[in-house]
Amino acid sequence: MKRFFLVLFAGIFLLILQTTWLSSFPVQRMRPDLLLIFTLYLAFLFPPILGGILAFFMGYLLDLFSGNTFGFYAFSRTLVFFAAQFLKERFYLEGFSFQGVFAFLFSFLEGGLILLLINAFQSIPVGNLYSALFTFLLPQSFLTGLVSPLVFFLFQKARSSLFRQPEQGVNARG
Amino acid sequence: MRIRDFFLFRRYSLFIFITFLLLFALVLMSLRAKQRKGMEFFDALLMEFCAPLQKASTVVIQTVQGTFQRYIFLVNLEKENRMLKQRIAELQEENHGAKEVKLAFDRLKQLLQFREKNSPSMIGAEVIGQDPSSWFKSVTIDKGERDGVKKGMAVISPAGVIGQILKTAPHYATVLLITDYNSAIDSIVQRTRAKAIVEGKGENRCQLKYLLRTEEVAVGDAVVTSGLAGNFPKGLMVGEIKKVDKKGHGVFQSAELTPSVDLAKLEEVFVIMEPVPVPAPPKEEKTKEEKTKKTKKSKK
Repeated sequence: MKRFFLVLFAGIFLLILQTTWLSSFPVQRMRPDLLLIFTLYLAFLFPPILGGILAFFMGYLLDLFSGNTFGFYAFSRTLVFFAAQFLKERFYLEGFSFQGVFAFLFSFLEGGLILLLINAFQSIPVGNLYSALFTFLLPQSFLTGLVSPLVFFLFQKARSSLFRQPEQGVNARG
Repeated sequence: MRIRDFFLFRRYSLFIFITFLLLFALVLMSLRAKQRKGMEFFDALLMEFCAPLQKASTVVIQTVQGTFQRYIFLVNLEKENRMLKQRIAELQEENHGAKEVKLAFDRLKQLLQFREKNSPSMIGAEVIGQDPSSWFKSVTIDKGERDGVKKGMAVISPAGVIGQILKTAPHYATVLLITDYNSAIDSIVQRTRAKAIVEGKGENRCQLKYLLRTEEVAVGDAVVTSGLAGNFPKGLMVGEIKKVDKKGHGVFQSAELTPSVDLAKLEEVFVIMEPVPVPAPPKEEKTKEEKTKKTKKSKK
């Protein structure tokens, strides 16, 4: 339970980091999605049920602080978590490059999903958003992929120093 | 329930959980679609918990940024002017401090003048956070329901329109920026008085929609609020036209505009507390209406 709440607070901390520190960068358009990387990390770390609830909550928080009126992220982040859970045992994810590719793919796919949801719920023609797919989503996903190995490494370090048992929970099942 | 059934349930429990969680997210989405009022209790509670941390983080960033910039400046100065005495450096530091104070004073004075000139029923708020997602454009401010802020209220700055209140918590609120895809503001082109709707188009861009093809608009034309929607006072600067597109067929032409406010560098904003009164019909019309009412009564 302690671990659950610690992760929860870490998520809130990352959200604050994303809304304040990362927004202060000069090139504001390109901002790595730390919470997405965190959700992917949760998929490697946590069993499905507990992790699923955490991923849902992270998405819920993201919805709360964004201009998104419907709550797309609560859905998409839960889906991302379970998809990552499903894939984690089928691929070798220890290498830096693989982590980067993994984060890039999920960032891009989630962006596509959000686009579809926006189109379905908010009656904005996809044509208007289509241009954002390459001008914005692709570089943004690339940046997320680029920083993810470093963020994974930092998460791993923080986890091992906090819990002193790095193996615990990695292969656990809920 | 038989033992075999129990095992079957356990076998599929994970699948059931995943389906349940995803369905719950979808139900939440549809519930939010129906929600027209402010935030739910749980949302407000979470925001009240997280926003102070956000505010503290913003204060730290501003302090660190300020100190860092000043320090770097001084180091450079020292490198470039090794011959300068310590006293000059001290004076310069003092000068920087004074400049900072003067800039802040000028900015606040300008805000105060703007407030007095436009509407006394405005409150100032500080921007404490940006939108965490990249698809939506919003900011969090440090004023909420307890300060009288309500959903739909207009948010402006001396440079022009910023957006409107989207969600409210007791002490904080989320502002939907005019560049968000969901934002729409009734406006007019200042020079030609052509009516149009300004809609958000993502990254620091908006577009003018429902602008009649017959209207002559040009690049550089200013677009201001029409005052018809009720939330925004008339004549507030929205932006400047950057591109006009008359290609294709149809009744309307489209134009792209850049907001007059740099939405990436928002620090202080104003929330207009009272809805702008819709202009009353002219006297002649009023008297006509009264006459018709009277005749109706007399007939009765």
